[in-house]
Amino acid sequence: MKIRSIELTNVRRFSGRTARITGIGDGITVLSEPNEFGKSTFFDALHALFFERHRGTKQSVKALQPHAGGAPEIALEIDLPQGRFRIEKRWLSRATARVLDGTGRLIAQDDEAEAWIDRLLGNGLSGPSGLLWVRQGLLGIEPEGGSTNEKNERERGLNTRRDLLSSVAGEIDLMTGGRRLDAVLARIGQELVRLATSTLKPKTGGEWAKAADEMATLRMQEAELADKAARLSGDLARRADVMRQLSELDDPEAERQRSDRLVEAEQTQKAAVAYAEKLAEARQSLKLAQLTEAGTQTEIQRLEQLSERLVIAEADLHGATGKANEAESRAEELAKLDRSSASTLTSLQEQEKELRGRFDVAQRARLAEAARDRAQALQKALHRAEDLRRSRENDLALQRVIVVTPARLAQAEAAREVLDRISAQLEAQSVSVSVRYDGAARISVDGTELPDGGHLIDAARDFLLPGIGSMRVDPGSGTGEDLARRRTEAEAALKSKLLVCDASSLAGARQKLAETQRLGATIASTDALLAEIAPQGLDVLRQELARAQIDAGAVSGEAGDPVALEAALVDVQAAIAQAQARATEVHSRAVIARETRAAANSARQAAERAAETARLDAGAASDLAVRLQSLRADLVTQGARLSEAWTFCDGLEKEAPDLEMISAQLSRAQSVVTQTRTRRDSLRNEFATLNGSIGALAEQGIEELLDETRGRLAAATAREARYAAEVQALARLRGTLEDARKQARDAYFAPVLRELEPLLAEIHPGAEMQIDDQTLLPVALTRNGQQETLDILSGGTREQIAILTRLAFARLFAKAGQTVPVILDDALVHSDDDRIEAMFNALHRVAKDQQIIVLTCRQRAFSALGGDRAVAVLTDA
Amino acid sequence: MVNFRFLHSSDLHLGKAFGAYPEAIRNRLREARHGSIARLAHAARQGGATTVLLAGDTFDAETPSPETLRHALRAMAAERDLTWIMLPGNHDSLAASELWRRIATDGPDNLRAVTDAAPFEIAPRVTVLPAPCTQRRPGRDLTESMGAATPAGHLRIGLGHGAITDFSGEEGVAGIIPPDRATLSGLDYLALGDWHGRMRIGAATWYAGTPEADGFKHDTNAGALLVSLGGSLEVDVVETGHFSWRSLAVDLLPGDDALSRLAGVLPTVDKRRDMLVRLIVSGRLPLAERTALEQEALAIAPDFGWFEHDFGGLAADTRPDDLDRIDRAGALRQAAERLLAEAQDEARSLADREISASALARLYAIALEVQK
Repeated sequence: MKIRSIELTNVRRFSGRTARITGIGDGITVLSEPNEFGKSTFFDALHALFFERHRGTKQSVKALQPHAGGAPEIALEIDLPQGRFRIEKRWLSRATARVLDGTGRLIAQDDEAEAWIDRLLGNGLSGPSGLLWVRQGLLGIEPEGGSTNEKNERERGLNTRRDLLSSVAGEIDLMTGGRRLDAVLARIGQELVRLATSTLKPKTGGEWAKAADEMATLRMQEAELADKAARLSGDLARRADVMRQLSELDDPEAERQRSDRLVEAEQTQKAAVAYAEKLAEARQSLKLAQLTEAGTQTEIQRLEQLSERLVIAEADLHGATGKANEAESRAEELAKLDRSSASTLTSLQEQEKELRGRFDVAQRARLAEAARDRAQALQKALHRAEDLRRSRENDLALQRVIVVTPARLAQAEAAREVLDRISAQLEAQSVSVSVRYDGAARISVDGTELPDGGHLIDAARDFLLPGIGSMRVDPGSGTGEDLARRRTEAEAALKSKLLVCDASSLAGARQKLAETQRLGATIASTDALLAEIAPQGLDVLRQELARAQIDAGAVSGEAGDPVALEAALVDVQAAIAQAQARATEVHSRAVIARETRAAANSARQAAERAAETARLDAGAASDLAVRLQSLRADLVTQGARLSEAWTFCDGLEKEAPDLEMISAQLSRAQSVVTQTRTRRDSLRNEFATLNGSIGALAEQGIEELLDETRGRLAAATAREARYAAEVQALARLRGTLEDARKQARDAYFAPVLRELEPLLAEIHPGAEMQIDDQTLLPVALTRNGQQETLDILSGGTREQIAILTRLAFARLFAKAGQTVPVILDDALVHSDDDRIEAMFNALHRVAKDQQIIVLTCRQRAFSALGGDRAVAVLTDA
Repeated sequence: MVNFRFLHSSDLHLGKAFGAYPEAIRNRLREARHGSIARLAHAARQGGATTVLLAGDTFDAETPSPETLRHALRAMAAERDLTWIMLPGNHDSLAASELWRRIATDGPDNLRAVTDAAPFEIAPRVTVLPAPCTQRRPGRDLTESMGAATPAGHLRIGLGHGAITDFSGEEGVAGIIPPDRATLSGLDYLALGDWHGRMRIGAATWYAGTPEADGFKHDTNAGALLVSLGGSLEVDVVETGHFSWRSLAVDLLPGDDALSRLAGVLPTVDKRRDMLVRLIVSGRLPLAERTALEQEALAIAPDFGWFEHDFGGLAADTRPDDLDRIDRAGALRQAAERLLAEAQDEARSLADREISASALARLYAIALEVQK
């Protein structure tokens, strides 16, 4: 749809007049008029034509009326793909709506005309065209005052946004399922919240939780009842077993057998006890006889031992006394001999000491003589060595002065060869000039007189010939000059090499080299002699000489013949050794004799004490014999009695019954009777207890209750599972729907953002826009990585964003074949000049396939927008 | 030749709790089981029998509640012209000594509790050879005792309880009581209990089944057997059940009129109160028809004593029309398509697919409600 003309009759300030704008083009058309002209009236009129029913009487319609009253009329010419149409509406009085084609033919009137307009707008009042109305204060730039007009303006802006939201929401509905999906989600939410928590757990008080609680309760009850049932079953089985056991215990025949066995065992045990007492008495008598006989034997033994000890003690005393006397005599004899041996040894040791002193003096005299001879030899060698060392140092000094070496000589000889070679070449290339003077005149070259004879000219020379002139002799080719230079260099090189050798000529250098070689040989020979005379050096030689001289001067006094003295000394030492051995042996024997004497005396004393003790213990010897005889007679009598006791006791023991076994049998018989009684009592008690327990449990009908509880538990479990499945299904449904809605919204906004991106780049290069999926409006702008919410942006930026967003939507609609005009009513009032220029670029970019009508009072600023200019023409109605 | 007629029944399971069922029907079911005593008595009387053989499991538990026991004994006592022969079964075996002690103490004169395997004469020249269960699982063939000798010319009626085939396991597994026990032991008739449905093992060997059904396992109408011995063996079925238990299976495919098919398998309204129905729906249905079927199932459920539907085997045959009714495009449609794909994704577990299928069905229902 494209608007071609707008015609307002009797609308607000155009009371009784018709204001007409014609010639609106395809792209941008600007209506630039000053304030109070009525531009907003055009805007509101267009809005009313599209969105206010002709029969409408609400405030927004009445607001179109001029103060003088009357029926406002609006007409619009539009181009559609089908051709040109004219839409006319009149409100309040003789209200009508009409649609005419390009030929003026009426094609729809009143309600049909309204329906035609609805179809034109797509989805009626909530259609997308609402998006394209942009007026001052639409986004963010709202009047903030408290006046009625300002409030109305704010309300109107709010309503407009709502309309915009509604229309956008309609698109979103189409894409996302919109309100139906919301309703479905709400229903799912209601269902879920009835059953589950936000984390999909059973909600307290909900049916699911009740089922789960019931299940848990029943499970506990089932466990308790199962336990009781098991107990009842066990009790029944146990009672049957108890009854069987009681029946066995109460059998009379078994009872009688138990009683007979007990009586028999008691009688047997009584007889056995009596026999055992008799046996014990016999054993006691036997024991007494044994003790009496043993006592007698012990006494006899004691007396016999006492008698024997007395005899032995007397004999021991006699022997010990004899040995003591003999040891005393021997000790005295050896003591004398020991003293004599010691005296002999002392005499010999004094002789040996005197001889040793004399021998030492003779020995030292002989060593001093040898030292004098050695000192003389060492003195001679030292003199010779010092002479050799001085000669060697002289040779070394001479050798150090000579610097020529074979290598240096070789280098000088090589330099000589080079010089000779160059000289030969120079000579070969030179001109030979022979001069022979006949007169006084002389030829000079370079100021020097040239003597007679032949001369080699190796370079160009000017010969001055007096009285004749000059003559230039040139060997040619300039080669001579080079060779001359090289010869000069070779000469300098030779001189340098000879200088290194400290010689003026090669012969001199060779002579010096021969001299240094000779000196080297001499030094080597001297070194060999020195090594032989003083192998460890002169200092060591001097030290040896000093020591020899000291040794030679150590002799003093007279000295005997050392050989004779040594022989006498050896003889005395041999005598000492022999005397010492004899003295040692005698001394050892004397010591042993003393110890023997002491031991013999000690043994005699011990024997005396033992004899005295034995005499005291034995008393009189006659009494001892009488007592022994009496005891031996008693022992015979006691032995006979003991034999009788043994015989009697053995006889009883052979016939004795096994009392232990008999007692065990009695104990067993008693135990059987006791246990039977105890067991019977216990079983009867248990039987009574079981009867009580079984009766109580049976009264409760445990199994029926258990069966019923298990059934109810199964039902509750199934019910809980159904609720769980229901929650799972609802949760999955909710998740799937939310995912789908998000995807749809993402898909919906993607093209918007695609369209918005190049437009936004005109104003804010690199910036990105975020659109809220709930309000469907821009919410934030991201620039340089920083996200800024819309409410903190400047008013200019916000209005630019508002317009660009709508332009982006407009391009989308255009691409979808839904071309609708964009109408801007005094938009961009807050944008600076640069941004307005950029916005104009964006508008032109969109205007290629989009009609844009701009209403503005800023004539100068908008002159730069370009596009077509529309003119409002006023005529009387 | 002696002629003798008696009523053969078993498995009354008096006191059975039915805990898995709601309280109202639970109480009715228990009451119906108690009422079976009177209905058996009526059937015997109508059939000209004065003896009722109860082949085990008269009581559901080894220690029934005092009320259950007392009411049962009083009900049998009230039928004073009849003789009740009560055999211990596996549920009320001789191991339940307290039960049999109480019956011995409190039972009426016209009740004979069989507590040992000794043959006894119940009418002139008519001997019962019983095989009472000694334990819940005796682990041996108790009917061997039925080979005991009886006086010449006596009718020999075996009375036993247990499995000929293993009812709890796979069909055909060898059980404990030999199928030809009647022949082996020279019985004129072998009255068996344990199997809750009526079953003819041989001409003279029958399971009477329970007189009041207690589950969906058996298709036969609950009843008892009126047996005539003498000249020829006659076994007549007498229905005694009050409640009817039915599993109704409906297999549906797209194109079927699901509601009509359901109506076709349902009983008339006047019979529904005493019926317990398990509706098992399988096959495939479009979402709309599935939803309608579910709503119908919910609507008719209160007609019945108990009604349960199982749509677990009914796959959603989702068509574009179904999804269109959710939405033609947009997020709702996308969500529906995703859930459908998940529900049909074989790579997912069955439980996970069912969650998605259920979620899709919920979406369909809610979307329609929201549309309204």
